[in-house]
Parts: sequence; C-alpha cells; structure tokens
Amino acid sequence: MIARIAYAFREMWASFRRNLTLTAAAILTSAIALLLVGTTLLIQRAFENLLVQWKGDVAMIVFVRSDATPEQIALIDESIRSAPTIINVDKLQYLDKTQTYEEAKRIFAGDPVTLSLLTPENIPSEFKIVPLTQDPALVRSLSEQYRSLPGVEDVALAEDEFQVISTLSRFVRTVTLVMSLVLLVVAVGLIWNTIRTAMFARRREIEVMKLVGATNWFIRVPFMLEGLLQGLIGAIVSCGGLWVLNSAWTNGVAGFKPGTGISSLVVPSGYLSGVMVVILIIGALAGAIGSAIAASRFLDV
Amino acid sequence: MIRLENVTKRYGSETVAVRDASFDVAKGDFVFLVGPSGSGKSTILRLVNRQERPERGDVWVAGQNVNDLPDSRVPFLRRNMGNVFQDYKLLTGKTVFENIAFALEVIGKPRHVIARQVPIVLDLVGLAGKEDRFPNQLSGGEQQRVSIARAFVNRPLILLADEPTGNLDPATGEGIMSLLDEINQTGTTVVMATHDHRVVNAMRRRVIQLDRGVIVRDQERGVYE
Repeated sequence: MIARIAYAFREMWASFRRNLTLTAAAILTSAIALLLVGTTLLIQRAFENLLVQWKGDVAMIVFVRSDATPEQIALIDESIRSAPTIINVDKLQYLDKTQTYEEAKRIFAGDPVTLSLLTPENIPSEFKIVPLTQDPALVRSLSEQYRSLPGVEDVALAEDEFQVISTLSRFVRTVTLVMSLVLLVVAVGLIWNTIRTAMFARRREIEVMKLVGATNWFIRVPFMLEGLLQGLIGAIVSCGGLWVLNSAWTNGVAGFKPGTGISSLVVPSGYLSGVMVVILIIGALAGAIGSAIAASRFLDV
Repeated sequence: MIRLENVTKRYGSETVAVRDASFDVAKGDFVFLVGPSGSGKSTILRLVNRQERPERGDVWVAGQNVNDLPDSRVPFLRRNMGNVFQDYKLLTGKTVFENIAFALEVIGKPRHVIARQVPIVLDLVGLAGKEDRFPNQLSGGEQQRVSIARAFVNRPLILLADEPTGNLDPATGEGIMSLLDEINQTGTTVVMATHDHRVVNAMRRRVIQLDRGVIVRDQERGVYE
C-alpha cells in the first residue's frame, strides 16, 4: 500500500515537472478564475452590508427617536397600520434599539468612527414598511405624513437611497459571476488538456502498464493527483491575490468621508477566510474533475 | 489452460479476423499459431488477453470465461499472462532493470520483492550485468530478452508471444526460441504466433495453422509446411 502511494506521488511529481509550460498556463487560468469567484463573493457581501436594512422589499423606514415614549411608538405603529390598503401590515416590522444596533454594526462595518458614536441607548429604533401599492407617489406622501408624527426622527425611502445601489450591485454581481464561471470552465478545460497531453506523452508506458495488469485506478490516480494539485496551487495563488486586493480596498475605503455609504462596502476578515476556504475547495474540485474526465477518456491510448 | 469455443471475431462489418475457431491448450503446452499476415494469429492472442472481445463464442483462460469478466477484473486476468511482441515495447527512458521492475511495480509489488526478483530473471535471460543499460544501447536480440524477462518476472501461467523473432536474424532468433523453450520447461504455457518457418520446423511442437481466420490444421509435433 505504501509502495503504491509513493508511486502515485512520484509519478505525479515527475509528470508535473515535465509539462511545466502547460501546467503554468493551467494554474494561472484557474488562479484568475478563482480570484474572480472570490471577488464576486466579496462584492456581494460588501453590497449586502449596505442593503441589509432594505432586505425583503422594504420600501420605507421610519426612524423613531431614541428618547420616544412607548405611547409615541404605539401611536406611530397605529398610524402605519391605519393604511392597510397601501401598506402590507403583515410584513410590518419593528426593530427595537438592540436590533437596530446589530444592523448598524454591518452598515458601518468600514466606518468605525460613526459606529463608535452609536450605542444601543442613543440609536433610533425603526419601523420597516413593505408597501402593497406599486405607486411610489403614494408611498412618498405617506412618508410626509409619518414625518410629522411626534417621536419620529426621520423617514427614509428606498427610492432615494437604495435603488441605484441595488441596481449597481446586481449588475456588478452578474458581470463578475458570468466572467468567473466562463473562466472556471476555461480552467477546467486547460487542466483537462494538460492531463490529456501528459497521458498522450506516456501512452507507451500506459499500454505496457495495461498489458502487465495494472488496474485502471492505478494508472489514473497519479494523473488525477496532478490535476488536483494544479487546481489547488491556482487556488492558493488566488487566495493570496484576494487578500492583497481586499487589504488594499479596505485601506482605501477608510479614507472616504464617513457616512457616505462607500465605507460600508467592506467585509469582515472572518468572511474573507471563509471565502478562501471555498476557493480552495472549488480549485481542488475543478482540478480533480478536469483530470478525472481526461484520465477516464484517454486511458485507451 | 486456454480454450476457444466457436470463436468468431470481425473488425467492422466486413473483415472477418477469426471464424468459428475452437481449440484447447493444456497447461504446460507449447503451441505455434502459424499462417500468413492477416490470417488471424494476432487476433487470437488479443482475444486471450482480452484486448479484444469475440463477437460469438467463448474464450476460457484458467477456467474463467474471459468474455464474462467485468472490465475491473481484466487487470487481474492479465497478471497471469506475459506478453512478448515483435517490437519489444520497451520504455526507452528506463534502464533494463527499471523496465523489468516496472512490471512488478505497477501491480503493487513491494520494493524488496522487486529487488530480489529482477536479478533472478535477468540472469535467466542471460543479461546479468546489463541492468543499467538503456534499450537503445542493446542489440535487437538483447532487447527481446529484456521484454521476455519483463513478461516472465511475475511467473505467469501463460506467455503470449506475437512474432517474437520477427525482427531478428536467424541465429539471434534461435537464441530467443531456446529461451522460450526454457520458460516452457518451468511449466509456463506458451502460445506463439509466427510465420517464421525455421523456428517452427526446428522445435517440432504443436502447430495450429490459420488461413483467413479459419483453423485449417491442428497438429501435434507439426512443421510449418
């Protein structure tokens, strides 16, 4: 058994070095593809920070002053519920101060100055409103009405803050996702081609191996390991690139004026490590899949 | 050891390689398959080691119906047989020792077994001392000896030889034949395809003659004609 494992790794390494140019191309392509996959995931997460308060078709948020009395809050709640034809009262949501503070942590993730000014005591609580109507003018007129209620600090409309960013985020996400998928397919193809070339270069050896009774798996495994290694190295390279990109971005964003929204477009470092693990897995899988296809199709040389 | 029952094999829809062939080879036999090029000799060897499957009929090796064997079992069938070819099929990038060791390595034999077995078989084929040469540093006869060593190092039940003397001069061919004879003496069944009159006539072993895929003669202690 040990002899077999040693054999597989020795053969993998020999073949890996023999086709250095093709191998480098395959690794580089998978690195770029995976870098894009990672960037897509990070961008998506960063935009989510910004959009988190508008999730679930929320079109209007009524911010309640932190010093509002329970009677004032009840009055606001009642007035919102008094328009059941315009507002979806089932989906009406009230976030108390603690919940709002949790949300703020994400929104101001890249803006520690603003965040440090907020505490669960001084933060406003909020009503999230999902409208039934499709008419934005109707929603806007309601917002004017709510603004004049006692205890209301401000009313924010999705139309004003959210829609441009949402469209932008969707566009960026689609473009990066499509590009990374295409590149991923190209990477699998290149790995497939590298393995096919490696097998073709060794067709006489494979023929002899088959004639003396080597099992197909014995012949296949070194090639599959080679593909897996290519994908994995590509993934490691792209993790490095991703880290560099993310650090540069986070540092750059920190210089923006606080409260502009751009500064919330950062991801927590825990999420970055999660993305890196995902990328390593995708890379290894892509390599193994590409080489497995090649190794089973070209075994009959 | 080997039995063919009414075996027919065609390539494409036109070319009949083997037609309704039946014969039985006992353990320890030495059999020549003779006939002109294209008469089906090589096809019969390829049917025995399951490089090909018959269209009709059954091929039995060591009591096993080769046709029924799932693909995953084929390697284990082949571990019972050695193959020798006209063009040797040696790996040019490996030394004599490595070429022979390769056959044991790829069936998962441990290193100490390889280190013990390879010198023994090198000695048997008369190449002791040449283990570090590369194939292109050897004569044709020597290369064929390496290939026989590789085929025999696993002590197979059967040795299949396809025109092993085809590329060699008569004197060298004789040397190869006496080596195959020696291997046969150890109890290994030998089936050899050839159209070399001299070796067949000199050995006086069983001869199965093929003509356009049909067995036309099966004779003990035969000659080529």
